[in-house]
Amino acid sequence: MCAVPSVNTRAFFSKTGRAKYISHLDLSSTVIRAMKRTKLPIWQTEGFNPRTYVTFMLPLSLGQEGEHEAMDFRLTEDVPFDEVKERLNAALPPDIRVTEVTVPKDKNTDITAARWRIDFTCDPDKLRRLCEKEQINVEKRTKKGVSTVDLKPLMTDVEIAGNQLMLTLPAGNSFNINPALLFEAYTAEYGEQVKRLRIVRTNIYSGEREFE
Amino acid sequence: MSEKNNSMMERLDEFLLDVQKPSRYIGGEPGSVVKDKSEVDIRFAFCFPDTYEIGMSHLGMKILYGLKNAVPNYWCERVFMPLPDMEEQMRQRNIPLYALESLDPIKDFDFIGFTLQYEMSFTNILEMLDLAGVPVLAKDRTGLTPIVMAGGPCACNPEPLADFFDFFAIGEGEEMNLEFMRVMEECKREGATRQEFLRRAAQIEGIYVPSLYDIAYNEDGTVKSITPKDGAPAKVRKRIIKDFDKAYTPDNFVVPLTGIVHDRAVVEVLRGCIRGCRFCQAGFIYRPYREKQIDTILDQTRCLCDNTGYDEVSLSSLSTGDYKDIEGLLTQLTDFTTAEKINLSLPSLRVDRFSDEVLKKITDVRKSGLTFAPEGGTQRIRDVINKNVTEQNVMDSVKIAFEGGYTNIKLYFMMGLPTETLEDIKGVYDLAKAVIEQFYATPGHAKGRPGVSVSLSTFIPKPFTPFEFEPQLDEDSVRERQRYLKTINTDRKITISYPSYELSLIEAVLARGDRRVGKAIYTAWKKGCKLDGWDEYFRFDLWKEAFADCGLDMAFYANRRRSYDEIPPWDHIDMLVSREFLIEENKRAHAGVTTPNCREKCSGCGVSKCVGGDVCRAIR
Ligand code: SF4
Repeated sequence: MCAVPSVNTRAFFSKTGRAKYISHLDLSSTVIRAMKRTKLPIWQTEGFNPRTYVTFMLPLSLGQEGEHEAMDFRLTEDVPFDEVKERLNAALPPDIRVTEVTVPKDKNTDITAARWRIDFTCDPDKLRRLCEKEQINVEKRTKKGVSTVDLKPLMTDVEIAGNQLMLTLPAGNSFNINPALLFEAYTAEYGEQVKRLRIVRTNIYSGEREFE
Repeated sequence: MSEKNNSMMERLDEFLLDVQKPSRYIGGEPGSVVKDKSEVDIRFAFCFPDTYEIGMSHLGMKILYGLKNAVPNYWCERVFMPLPDMEEQMRQRNIPLYALESLDPIKDFDFIGFTLQYEMSFTNILEMLDLAGVPVLAKDRTGLTPIVMAGGPCACNPEPLADFFDFFAIGEGEEMNLEFMRVMEECKREGATRQEFLRRAAQIEGIYVPSLYDIAYNEDGTVKSITPKDGAPAKVRKRIIKDFDKAYTPDNFVVPLTGIVHDRAVVEVLRGCIRGCRFCQAGFIYRPYREKQIDTILDQTRCLCDNTGYDEVSLSSLSTGDYKDIEGLLTQLTDFTTAEKINLSLPSLRVDRFSDEVLKKITDVRKSGLTFAPEGGTQRIRDVINKNVTEQNVMDSVKIAFEGGYTNIKLYFMMGLPTETLEDIKGVYDLAKAVIEQFYATPGHAKGRPGVSVSLSTFIPKPFTPFEFEPQLDEDSVRERQRYLKTINTDRKITISYPSYELSLIEAVLARGDRRVGKAIYTAWKKGCKLDGWDEYFRFDLWKEAFADCGLDMAFYANRRRSYDEIPPWDHIDMLVSREFLIEENKRAHAGVTTPNCREKCSGCGVSKCVGGDVCRAIR
C-alpha cells in the first residue's frame, strides 16, 4: 500500500530492552533524529526553526516497555509503507523496532484502554486475593494533586499465571491508569515492598477492538 | 546479544531505575558499534574519566572510536565515570565497570585506554580502574592483558600518573593506536608476556613506557637524571599524523539518547594554533598549525549531518578565525547549512574580523551568547602573555553584539600572570567599565540594562609553555588582589566571579608534578577524592592531607620559580617545541616584547625541522 502525498501515517513500534530507559522526552528527539537520517519525506513544521512533526500516543513511564506503541507523522511524498518501515528500522536504535506502517483509522482520542503484561516477584496468591477484593483503593498522583481511586472496577480481563499478570486498564489522554498502582496497593495491603517489576504494554484499544 | 550480556542486562535492570538518568549507563545508541565477539581479536575499552555527558561531547574520543572500529577484528567500546549514585549501586552489587556496547566487564579487555583532558580527572581514573576490578598500580598487574594506557594533552607530562599506567601515547593518536594494537595482536599470538609487549611498544615512536625509565633526584628535590633502560629511547617524541587533510575522520557519531553537553555534529577545521599565547599549553603542544581544505570540511559536514541526523553543526579548532580563507569557508558552509536548515555554531571565533556580509550569515543562523577572553586587563600584561587582543578589538566585538540586541557580555581574565601588578588588576575593571560605556554609545542598543560578568581565574603555569618556569601566585596574594578588585568595583552592572583558587592550586601541582606526586594522587583517592572537577565533590582538605601524608610540599611544585637549567620532570618527553625557544619566549615575556604569529613570521620554535619545513611554510 502507498501513502498519498501529505497524508497521515501511523507507525506501530516496540520499545523494549535497553530502550526502556529512554524517557518519553528523549524518545521524541531520538525518533526525530532517526527520521532525519532516513531522508524520508516527512512533513516538518514551517517557520524559522522547522521541526519534524511526530505525535506519540500514550507516554510510557521510564522503565516500562511497549510492544505495540503508536506514533503519527505525515509523508509529503508517495513512499511504499514497507520501505518506510525498513528505512526507519535501519535508522532507529536496535531496541526500537517499527512493526507496521499504516494509514490511521482511529483518532488518538479514540484510545480507551491498554493491555499490560507484568512479571512480578511477589506472592501470586496474595496478589490474586488482592485482585479479588471488593475495592482496591490507591492514591493516584496527577498534576492536580493526589486523589483516591478504586482500581477494582477499572481492571478487566485479569489473568494470573505463575509469576505473570495480564490485565486491561483505562488508557487515553484524559484518564490513564498505570499498572504500577496495583503493586502500590499490594504494598499497602501486606506491608511488603514489591521488588522490580517488568511491566510491558502489549496492546492499545479503542473500545472493544484494537486501536488501528 | 550473548547470554552473558543478557545476564548483565538483568543485573542492571534490578536497580537502574533507582539512579539518575539511567539511559547513560546502558548504551544502545544509534551509531554505537556492536561486533560479533568471535570475529574480534583485540578489544579496547576507551575510558573517558568524566561523566557520559562530558565524555560524549568530546571529539577526540569519537575520532579514535571510529578509527579503531574501522578495523574489522578490533572492537573499541566506550566507558564513562559513573556518578556516585550509580557507583554505590555497582559496588553494593559487585558489578564491575563495564563497557557500554557489550556490557562486558572491562577487566577482560586487552586495552583499557584513558584520555587525559584535564588534571582534575586524575582521581577518576583510579576510581574507574578500581571499580573495574583492575589493580590501580601498574606494578600489581600481571598477565599480558589488560594493558592500561593513556593519551591526550595531559600526557605531555605523564610523570604524576607514571605509577598507574603501563604506557602513554604522546601526541596525535590516529596512527599510533593501530600500531600498538597490532603489536598486541602479535604478542597474543606468540603468548608473549606483559613485559615483552611493553618492551616492543616502547619501540613505537610516541610510546612512553614509564617503567623503563629510572628517575634520580637532587637533594633539593629537583630531578637529577632520567635514565632509560631495555632499549627505550632517551627522548619520546610526540607523533603527528602525516597528512592532516587526509587524516581519518569519523563519518558517523554515536548519537546519545539523552541530552549531553554538546549534542551536535562537530567538524575539525584546523589543528594547532598560530598565535603563541604564552600561557596556553594547547597553543604549543598541538603545533604545527595545519588546516583542512574547504572541500574536505564541506564533505565531512555533509556526511556527518546525513549520518547522525543532527540539525546543528559546530566547527572545532583552537581558533577558527585563523583559518586562511575563513570567509570562503563560511560562505560555502552557510550555503549548505541554510539550504538544509542546519544551525551552524562557531565557538572560538572572533567576530570583529568579519565583513558585515559574512557576519549576517552567521548570526542569522544562530545567535550565540557572547564571550570574550582578553585574559589580561592592560595592554602591557597582554603583551607579556602575547595575547593579541587590543581594547579596540574588544570594543569592536561588543559593539557588534550590542547592535545585534545583546545586553550581556562575559569577559574572561586570569589573575597572577607573570609580572602582574595591581595596575593590571585595575585594568580588568576599566575594561569591563568601558564595555558598559560602549553599550550606551552604540546607536540602536537594546532597551534593558547592560551587564558584564567578569570571570577571573588563577593562572596555572603548564609544561611546554614559556611560562613553565613561573611560580603560581600564592594564596595570600590571590586573596589580596581579589579584595582590591572588590573595593574598586562600585558598578552594580559589573559582576566578578573567581573560580576556585584551591582547585587551581591542585591543578598547578598535578600539571608540573614529578613521579613522586603519584603517591599523593593515590593517597587523595584513597581518602575519597574523586570528581574533583565538580565543586560539590572537590575536597581540598583531603588533598592537603594527602600531600602532607606523603611528605610532599605543594608549594615546591606550584609556587617555586624554576631555573632555566633545572631538569623538568618531563624532560624525556619531546613535544617538538624546543626548550631554547621556550626560554627565549620567557625572556621576551619579562621584557614585555610580543612575538609575531606563525603566519606573520616563523619564530623558530623547533617544530618545523622535525616535521619538514613544508608544513610550516604552508601556514603563510
Ligand atoms: S617552526 Fe615556526 S612556523 Fe612552525 S610552528 Fe614553530 S614558530 Fe610556527
